[in-house]
Amino acid sequence: MYKNLMYICNSKYRMKMKNSQLYKGSLNTIILKLLEENGKMYGYEITQKVKAITLGELNITEGALYPALHKLEAEGLLDVEIERVDNRLRKYYKLTETGTKETMNRLSELEDFIRNMQSLVNPKLEF
Amino acid sequence: MKLTPQQIDHLYLFTRQHYVEWYDLQSELVDHLANAIETQWQENPKLTFDEALNIEFKKFGVFGFMGVVEEKQKFLGKKYNRLVLSHIKEFFTLPKILLTITATWALFLLFKWSRFNGEFLLFFYVLLIGFAFYAIIKNRIQRKQQINKNQKRWLFEEIMNQYGSFIGAIVFPLNFLLNIFNHGNRFLSNDYGIGFTSFFLVLMTFLLYVMFVLIPSKSKEYLIQTYPEYGLTKQH
Repeated sequence: MYKNLMYICNSKYRMKMKNSQLYKGSLNTIILKLLEENGKMYGYEITQKVKAITLGELNITEGALYPALHKLEAEGLLDVEIERVDNRLRKYYKLTETGTKETMNRLSELEDFIRNMQSLVNPKLEF
Repeated sequence: MKLTPQQIDHLYLFTRQHYVEWYDLQSELVDHLANAIETQWQENPKLTFDEALNIEFKKFGVFGFMGVVEEKQKFLGKKYNRLVLSHIKEFFTLPKILLTITATWALFLLFKWSRFNGEFLLFFYVLLIGFAFYAIIKNRIQRKQQINKNQKRWLFEEIMNQYGSFIGAIVFPLNFLLNIFNHGNRFLSNDYGIGFTSFFLVLMTFLLYVMFVLIPSKSKEYLIQTYPEYGLTKQH
């Protein structure tokens, strides 16, 4: 899955300037996938994790991350938990039951999308 | 190297200076900035706190925190609208639907049998408007006191106090009801017109009751539901 995620992240990174819609579409799925694998995460941790997985090629911008997290929370896909860490409050996000189901749907949609795009970009022509 | 409590306080002040006045958003942004500054110090310990903060703030783009605030306002605004509608729906399910039917029927009879039905209509509307303005002014005074006391402010509380997109519900019907009053012969002389007007007034009364009485009385409950940190923090 990470291979797919990296593909999306890298593609996005290259496409960001050309087509930000593609990036926007995959950001939510990236967040959901990370939360599915890591349980609970806080905003900064998500940006660092994506950076590490993509070997620094992708930086999720702060201005895009928090609205995406708040949107997923408003849709009932994420739940929040607060902990006091180092003199400050830390807001952790985790998947709700609906969020877990939705993650599976979105990942399978994303995999279909990647497969179809790969076929379109590199068609195996048979004569 | 970790941030000191004074530096954390400075970050809260920094978010406030950049138009984030709500504690819920401030806390999340403060934690983000603090983590980012600490990471910067690991890579370059010579950076001062202010230098590291400036580098991190620039990453939010030219509009700073505004995008984050606006999006959050949008989502919480929708949440408030859903909350109002869910309370209104209760008036159309048992047992409250009996009240809705009785109130509509009582108004229907009054408008049908009274010679002064147009005047009654305006009287009810003025009563509702008067109540709404009283509630708004009372609320404003309370909010000012809260700001003066430097109490923590929560974005959802602010949206509840500004009544989301339902505030237009007070003024919007004025033109409509004045038309009914002016053309009373046409609208208030048949059962359909009287029935519709009665139902409309009842609906408006319920809406104002939900906005100005019911939701404010349960505001703490909704804040605890929305913010797990609400109970964890002192309100001053």
